[in-house]
Amino acid sequence: MKINVTINNEKKELEIAPDDILLDVLRRYGYHSVRRGCDTGMCGICTVLLDGKPVPSCSIFAARVDGHEITTVEGLPEAKELAKILAEEGADQCGFCSPGLIVNTVYLKKLKIKKIEEVKIKLIGNLCRCTGYVGQHRAIEKFLGVEK
Amino acid sequence: MIKNYFRPKTIDELSELKLKTKGYLFSGGTDLFVKLRAGTIDTDTVIDTKYLNSRKIEITGNKLFIPINATYSELRMFIKQNNVNNMLENIVKTIGSPMIRNRGTPVGNISNASPAGDFVLASYLFNAQVIIEPTSRKLPVKNFIKGPGKIDLRENEFVYGIELEILNDYKFYFEKVGRRNAMIISIASLGLLLKEKDNKIKDIRIAFGSVAPYILRDENLEKSLIGETINEELFKHIAIEYQKLSSPITDVRATKEYRKSLVHNLVIKAYNNLFEKVVKE
Repeated sequence: MKINVTINNEKKELEIAPDDILLDVLRRYGYHSVRRGCDTGMCGICTVLLDGKPVPSCSIFAARVDGHEITTVEGLPEAKELAKILAEEGADQCGFCSPGLIVNTVYLKKLKIKKIEEVKIKLIGNLCRCTGYVGQHRAIEKFLGVEK
Repeated sequence: MIKNYFRPKTIDELSELKLKTKGYLFSGGTDLFVKLRAGTIDTDTVIDTKYLNSRKIEITGNKLFIPINATYSELRMFIKQNNVNNMLENIVKTIGSPMIRNRGTPVGNISNASPAGDFVLASYLFNAQVIIEPTSRKLPVKNFIKGPGKIDLRENEFVYGIELEILNDYKFYFEKVGRRNAMIISIASLGLLLKEKDNKIKDIRIAFGSVAPYILRDENLEKSLIGETINEELFKHIAIEYQKLSSPITDVRATKEYRKSLVHNLVIKAYNNLFEKVVKE
């Protein structure tokens, strides 16, 4: 089956199978920032924006996004800036969870969220298993301009 | 292995497909995908419900209607914007993560009928009616859910929506005990609604999650409490009664003994928090 989807502001017609999962389709078409983590929607690594809202791409059939808009790290101009700060703050030991975290944090920037408590609640679904969260929070605070 | 993907637009179309294919409904997918990968569901057909022309979240009379496909995020926004059943927000905000709440749906939670389902607990507290199509059956959630994962639904039927009572002037307490802060499946949970008049109980609703094969709520016990004076003794009595009624199991999350003590302690904790007996430093 064919679906029409806008990925990072580009209109695409993609050939998919009924059992294709959005995560796999995105990777197949070259959006390699989207990564598979827990495969149950719990870890936040595969987060992409669906019509502007963060969702776990591992738990959505590709067929569902027909006619919708997807944004990945590749389509977020602010991603580079955040990635740089994450590196500077030593928040990227292996970097595997970074794309999901970046997508979600850039989303928070769009919402103009600047209170650290609120930021922590909103990022509760982005797990990191190697670096830990202290460095990440330093970087995210800088990026979002969290008021202290 | 999934071979067919359908996108019905009408109630009849959806019903026919479900009857014919024995396929599984896909709305948010947050639970369906876990089951597909774990192999507890084996189907070759997915029926996407998102294209169904359905009603929106709305207030009709003294009821809050939540349709199939409405997500937790949408419900939360509706509650805030309309200042209705604000207590629900305390439950909804603990479900999954923001990403999960952008996908997961209350109707899905009720159809899964897990005794640990947070929205299932909420639906018991708000005397939810489950609306089933195409037969237009309407039944209380406690009758709809028959046991863990078991529901009263025929092969051609699906849950179209749920209706919750709209409650005002209730004190509310909700606590979910888990092993971490996000994405918890509860070890035990308590929801309590209480209306008082002159320090006496006018109405009380108490529901526990994860301490029995179903959400534990005893309406006879609740009725026996109406008119009683609110004090620690009364809540100790409630705690002991519910401890007797609970029948928890030992699983990966906790032992049955621990869950039994939680039933007791959560009631006492609710009292202390609702009536400000907690010493605040």
